[in-house]
Amino acid sequence: MKKRYDVIILGGGVVGCAVAWYLSHFECSILVLEKELDVCCGISKANTGIIHSRSYYTPETMKGELHLRSLPWFHQAQDELDFHLARTGALTVALSPDDLAYLRLLQERGQCPEAEILGPKDTQELEPNISENMVAAYYDPQTAVISPFRLTLALAEGAVLNGVDFVFNVPVIDFHSDDRGIGIETETETDYYVAHWVVNSTGFSAPALAEKCGDGVPPLQAYRGEYYVLDKETRGYVKHVLYPVPTSLSKGILVSPTPEGNILVGPNFEPVKPGDTSTTVQGLAEVKIGAQKLVHHLPFDRTIQIFAGIRSVLPERDFHIFFSHRFSNIVHLCGIESPGLTASFGIAEYVGELLEKRGLNLVHKAHFNLRKNAPIFSECSWEERERLITQDPDWGRLVCRCEEVTLAEVKRALFVPPSARTIDGLKRRTRVTAGRCQGSFCEMHLLSTMIALLGFSENDIRKSGIHSHCLVGETREERESYATRH
Amino acid sequence: MPRDIEAEVVVIGGGPAGMAAAHSAWEQGAKSVFLLEREKYLGGILNQCIHPGFGLQVFGEELTGPEYASRYIEKLGKTGVQVMTETAVLDLEPSRTIRTVCPRGVHEFHARSVILSMGCREKTRGMIMIPGTRPAGIYTAGLAQYLVNIEGYLPGRKVVILGSGDIGLIMARRLSLEGVTVEAVVEVRNSLSGLVRNYVQCLLDFDLPLLLSHTVTGIVGKERLEGVLVSQVDERWHPVPGTERFLECDTLLLSVGLIPENEISQKAGISLSPISRGPYVDETFATDVDGFYACGNVASVFDLVDYVTFVSQKAGEAAASHRPRGKVRFVLQVGVGTGLVIPQRIRNIEEGILFIRPSQGFRETQIIFRKRDEVFARKKTPICRPSEMIRIDIPSIPWPPEGGEVTIEITGNPIQGI
Repeated sequence: MKKRYDVIILGGGVVGCAVAWYLSHFECSILVLEKELDVCCGISKANTGIIHSRSYYTPETMKGELHLRSLPWFHQAQDELDFHLARTGALTVALSPDDLAYLRLLQERGQCPEAEILGPKDTQELEPNISENMVAAYYDPQTAVISPFRLTLALAEGAVLNGVDFVFNVPVIDFHSDDRGIGIETETETDYYVAHWVVNSTGFSAPALAEKCGDGVPPLQAYRGEYYVLDKETRGYVKHVLYPVPTSLSKGILVSPTPEGNILVGPNFEPVKPGDTSTTVQGLAEVKIGAQKLVHHLPFDRTIQIFAGIRSVLPERDFHIFFSHRFSNIVHLCGIESPGLTASFGIAEYVGELLEKRGLNLVHKAHFNLRKNAPIFSECSWEERERLITQDPDWGRLVCRCEEVTLAEVKRALFVPPSARTIDGLKRRTRVTAGRCQGSFCEMHLLSTMIALLGFSENDIRKSGIHSHCLVGETREERESYATRH
Repeated sequence: MPRDIEAEVVVIGGGPAGMAAAHSAWEQGAKSVFLLEREKYLGGILNQCIHPGFGLQVFGEELTGPEYASRYIEKLGKTGVQVMTETAVLDLEPSRTIRTVCPRGVHEFHARSVILSMGCREKTRGMIMIPGTRPAGIYTAGLAQYLVNIEGYLPGRKVVILGSGDIGLIMARRLSLEGVTVEAVVEVRNSLSGLVRNYVQCLLDFDLPLLLSHTVTGIVGKERLEGVLVSQVDERWHPVPGTERFLECDTLLLSVGLIPENEISQKAGISLSPISRGPYVDETFATDVDGFYACGNVASVFDLVDYVTFVSQKAGEAAASHRPRGKVRFVLQVGVGTGLVIPQRIRNIEEGILFIRPSQGFRETQIIFRKRDEVFARKKTPICRPSEMIRIDIPSIPWPPEGGEVTIEITGNPIQGI
């Protein structure tokens, strides 16, 4: 059966979700098609989570333009999306007098009255553990950190509240001309979709899908960035986002607090095959050395996790957003690399304008639903906790000791759409398994909760992808007792 | 139940340590004893240890983990100890104010004595930084044990176990009994980490291979684990180039060490030893903050639950007696050949036991007690291993009359291999 929408967005990363949420302000029907089992599974899930301020934009590029366009949204959208942004501020650290010119350039670009270039003494006052080799630092108060998952989820939940549909586990394989628009063929025969407008925001898959439309795109190069996550015990050891002076290739290896209180260290910038998210001994060593230039005694012995993220980079190092030649109503988003997270709102607004030019009528809905974040138990006051438990005793059932996540929060993640269907989905929504024990004390409760509440069998428990089964079956005794019962 | 609760003794954690401590605090005469447990049941990790080998020293017979736990649950049932399950401690102040949540609400305890008995957690893949991908199928051995023994699920069909600690060895046997193929137990040291009896009963009896001086140097697999890279290591535990090989498996279990869970202790300002990663304690397991005791694996990871019970009884008695503490007379330091000593402080030489873990195995072992350059005691034992703590009664040591810093050294003929 054909399912028809005005707009279909391919890809549920931060950009796809931002486009969906933005367009959900207007009178049109929208679907997000995602090949994985959840939103935020690709490039969006593994990055530094920084909202780079104006000082760090790249002039005369599309990414620079959309970066600047996006920044006001982080204030404006607060009421509508209720996401948590921690405005930590940033220090760009000069390690030699040669770096000073770059700091002045940042100050010029930033046009922020509170920003300033600080000498060693003032810098140390702000950031006591910073390297002694630092000669000066550019202090920018506007830089913020955010959880990329929580931003993506806020956008996705906001979109659902305003009528957007999400379908998961449906990879797109081809496009066809249909009598009433563009036909989208998927791997599932029964799922055939038709839309007037299509947004291809599939990250790494974007060029391949553009190819299907007969649109040539220069090949994306994958660059891997490896990271360390340090225990929350290290909270406060670094208070601001610390940038080095960048290389010609990347922003360099950063040390950054996260909104949850960990310290995130990375990334390096290593060309790899697409999809290669393995960490390596060499890469991790490189990140360590890089970070130690900024913070000499960074407590790497408090590492709780290592991971790698991928950036999809075009040779021209810019976003490439363009209409298909064959299907005039398909817009491709290619090369969305750093600062893609920061620029996501700007990209969404821009895509809206492009679609409007091709006939999408942007008429505001009479009523727009605000997305409210559920309480985060670990951040609640004791009075608030008492009140929540009185309403629902599950707020008093702690599932995750490390991040202090309650059963009520896990249940919400399982039932508020787009809802979690995997262990990683629960992690991204609630932070279970993201703490120092990495799930060794809570994973069993998560899977038994999923089995009890969703009617899952043990074969339905997945870490993230469709083939990422956590369990392979039951023990002998369970199997035998099942056989006796039936 | 009122929101604010005055208590004589509050015990945090209802595993073997907490149960023993609460029981002996009550026996000692404490009038209001609360035992707080985060899970639904008392017993802690004992509940998932369905193998025998517990209780020989405490009960004089061999029990399984759940049996051992149920003995204590029964004992507690005959006391007035108030057990609160599904109760998590989120906040602890040096003034001995404890804030908890449970499905019935928020409570604030004001305790005369607080006993910390939160146990320990397992080291994870991230902490030991094994490079590679992040697929499903990588579990700590304890989590796998819970899944198999409590939930009745199988985590995989073909498993490699990293670390020859006791949980790893026991899981090798447990999974073999379930028909799972155990490809190898891989150990970075050149000797076994767990108890010899577990090596014999879990690996030898099941013909399972142990690779000493090897480690896992890579994780392979996109969504579910497809295999691991295993390399030989040199004496500094660095992988030897050219020795890396691929072992196909769908599951990797990690049994690479335990860390006492002291995040709550730190909120009370209790200082921790970088060696045990638990609080500095004296012979009664009192910490350096008045009225706080730490017993069992939260103080230092013990080999046997029987030892945990023993030290926790001591802590329970002391916590209930509220007697003023004397001055610290001896501060114990680890010297050559010694990995760990617990307690690290001695106030009263008339009671208690020293637990000493050698840093490697020795035959014809001598344990040497030294104050500055002067050796004041030597104890002999034919054989010692890192997996088995040496126990010495504190009163049996001829302590010098003046207190001070004491270094404990271990010498002997080093043991290679098992």
